[in-house]
Amino acid sequence: MYILRRWWERYSVQTILVALALLASWSVRATNGVVLVEIYYWLSYPFQSTPSEAEILEIAQHQELQQRLLELEVQNQQLQTLLGYVANVPDETIIAPVIGRPADQWWQQITIGSGRQEGVTEGSAVLGIGGVVGRVINVTPHTSRVLLVSDPSSQVGVTVSRSRAKGYLRGQSGDQAVMIFFERVPDVRPGDTVVTSRLSNRFPAGLPIGQVESINLEQSPAPEAVVALGSPVGMLEWVIVYPHSPIEAGWDDSMQRSEVQHSEVQHSEVQHSEVQHSED
Amino acid sequence: MRISDFRPPIRRAFNWGVTISSVLCCNLILLTRFPGMELLGVGPNWLLIWVVAWSLQRPPLQGAIAGICLGLMQDGLTMHHPTHTISLAIAGVLTARLQKQKYIQEDFISVAMIVFGMAVVVETVMAIQFSINVLLDRLPGSYLILTGTWLYHQQVALSSAILSSLWAPVVYYPLSRWWKMIRALG
Repeated sequence: MYILRRWWERYSVQTILVALALLASWSVRATNGVVLVEIYYWLSYPFQSTPSEAEILEIAQHQELQQRLLELEVQNQQLQTLLGYVANVPDETIIAPVIGRPADQWWQQITIGSGRQEGVTEGSAVLGIGGVVGRVINVTPHTSRVLLVSDPSSQVGVTVSRSRAKGYLRGQSGDQAVMIFFERVPDVRPGDTVVTSRLSNRFPAGLPIGQVESINLEQSPAPEAVVALGSPVGMLEWVIVYPHSPIEAGWDDSMQRSEVQHSEVQHSEVQHSEVQHSED
Repeated sequence: MRISDFRPPIRRAFNWGVTISSVLCCNLILLTRFPGMELLGVGPNWLLIWVVAWSLQRPPLQGAIAGICLGLMQDGLTMHHPTHTISLAIAGVLTARLQKQKYIQEDFISVAMIVFGMAVVVETVMAIQFSINVLLDRLPGSYLILTGTWLYHQQVALSSAILSSLWAPVVYYPLSRWWKMIRALG
């Protein structure tokens, strides 16, 4: 008892302090630090920024406007590029936005936002930056449907601008097309420019279409060349319509006929020369 | 007005006031994330810094009690399981056992080194507690939880140790000055 009392006399203050400290800490734990968190709240209150609902809405609106501005800037830039491009095209042209493109016929057709009212006629050539992209096959008062050159059913009479080797271009549902030559041994090299042919009446002559990428002379029945389309057909947003009407009705058939005749002539010549060659 | 002008009981009360408010400050600053106080999402362990500052010149028992008290507070402010009391108490005892005055000079660098080591100890004890809990719960996929815990432990231990040791002088220097002065007054 005496020892206990001595101990208490000596350590009472420390014991009480330790007990108090433990009690205080335990209460902090038991209350999940309510007091501390409240103190923290009131101390940090001057530094807290709580935007009101109106402010949040204002910020959101501001952001929306900024995004719209960005979109308009991009659009503006595209249009300016197109205008600069159009300045070099002599004839009267119509600039039209691409307003529709079927996902399942991506490389076949587009719908543009200009029609009869704007002066688009059936058969008008359609250009993008870089070259021909197609021709108008259907016109409504305010829209037109364009058959793209990348459509496999599209055939365009073309010529190699360097050597005037002629042929026709068939789409391949992609940004490349195949040029089929009429001659047996055409003068063509990779890198040659391909333009619309004077024999074609679907398009005005001399419009650029693309560049020869590779050549396959072994192809039967006629040699072929892969042509990379000059215009990015996959990402068209604005196009230039080049009003152009076919020279005479039903010309398409006659042109094909004439091309076929032409190629037949060429073929027979080639055969003839081969015969001569073998005779030698 | 100097602190030595006060009578001893008032001075002692003043000392306790300063000590308790320093604990309070450490607790409050634990809730904040000032810029530059974060590394890989981990902040400095302010309570550990306080425990080390407290235990450096005191017997191990006092270090342990301080560790338990601050551990309880940290439990209250963060989460109860696993408890922080064990790790902080161990840190307090180890720091007091170092007997710094004999072996190490009292300067910022050695304090920073001690805090660095203690932070690693504290995080390791926490990770061991986590692992024991996982093993006792016998949850499915406990192996994955364990691997994750120990991988994360390395990252947390290192970031916590670096930050705590860098910030240690902020807590240590004023407190040690104050306690030294009080002790000198008797």
